[in-house]
Amino acid sequence: MTGMQQLYPFLYAGGPGLDALMADVRRSTAEKAADIARLRESVLEEYGEALAVCAARMADAFRAGGRLFTFGNGGSSTDAQDVAALFLNPGDAGRPLPALALTTDVAVVTALSNDIGFEVVFARQLAAFGRPGDIALALSTSGNSDNLIAALREAARRGMLTVGLAGYTGGQMAEEPAFSDGRHHLFVVPSSSVHRIQEAQTTIYHALWELTQRELTQAELDREAR
Amino acid sequence: MTVTEVFRRRAEPAAALAGEAGTIAAACHAMAARFHRGGRLFTFGTGGAATDAQHVAVEFVHPVIVGKRALPALSLTGDVATLTGVGAGAGFDEIFAHQLRCFGGPDDMALGISPDGRCGSVRRALATARDLGMLTVALAGGDGGELAGAADHLVTVPSADPRVVKEVHVTAYHVLWELVHVFLEQPDVLTGEDGA
Repeated sequence: MTGMQQLYPFLYAGGPGLDALMADVRRSTAEKAADIARLRESVLEEYGEALAVCAARMADAFRAGGRLFTFGNGGSSTDAQDVAALFLNPGDAGRPLPALALTTDVAVVTALSNDIGFEVVFARQLAAFGRPGDIALALSTSGNSDNLIAALREAARRGMLTVGLAGYTGGQMAEEPAFSDGRHHLFVVPSSSVHRIQEAQTTIYHALWELTQRELTQAELDREAR
Repeated sequence: MTVTEVFRRRAEPAAALAGEAGTIAAACHAMAARFHRGGRLFTFGTGGAATDAQHVAVEFVHPVIVGKRALPALSLTGDVATLTGVGAGAGFDEIFAHQLRCFGGPDDMALGISPDGRCGSVRRALATARDLGMLTVALAGGDGGELAGAADHLVTVPSADPRVVKEVHVTAYHVLWELVHVFLEQPDVLTGEDGA
């Protein structure tokens, strides 16, 4: 018996059809692991410098009293919550910073969707909470969600720093004027797989968090040294 | 520390997922057998992993790939009234176990996520799921922490950085979703034992 058979003898009850299928799916997992590794390399190559600049701007914003607002739909809504939770409650790994996901309050989301429309669920919350100097972080795989575009425009109107994460070729987000003037940041993960895009975006927002924390710590050390 | 260093730190743990391919395949086969006979998936985790629990559930309920069927999956992290109610009453370790006792049955599946493997409520929920006869799957980090031995199928990520572990978990559950569908599309391999 092979190692696999010893570990999972029940799998082999299904006969040779199952054996072949198991081999296929194991190979598929290894391919996916290689795909995401390559994709992260492409992102680093394309955006390494921009990520450092963006994190420095985010650190400046926090230092000046800015807050972070995050939003996305579906799987990206869970990333919006994850990144807000990371900034707000990083445990021993960093300092807590004010961050709020605009996806979690079901009363607000359903009220806005029911009374006005789903396209305003994030923009209206930014209109209520947002101040100049705050940060808006939009997470999308397609770059085409109407409610993200509306929120990014609202954020730009209010003088917020806007950061967008998208996939494919950036979709409508790539057409937004805010992202063409060099003061805001759009990171497009060059893939057509929603899954791989989300995985690379997770790395992007973790990197932004880590670099932002580092900027804030460094600035404090520099101040103490003076 | 540079951006490059941040990215490089991901490379090895991410590549190690290929070494978990056998565990993932076995978990997916067992899960597909459960879905095939009407089982439901319950997902849970605390902190950042709570968002992963919701992400897994939405993958199954509303697949991003057109044409894939919707499967019953529920994250136990979404109901704030219940989470805070059970937490304030029976205690935080009971927040998921309580819900499993109410919703779960022997055909169902429990998926617990904990980047350090040291989450009391995830551990408690997996033990409860096992008592109920459910299939148990866990995503952890490092050596699996206290989740080693607590689940039928345990996928670990060799890193002590919870953010790196999370990133590999995202790939792992995307693959889990995809491969469950591969098995479901071959129902002849789903009869008989499923390792539960």
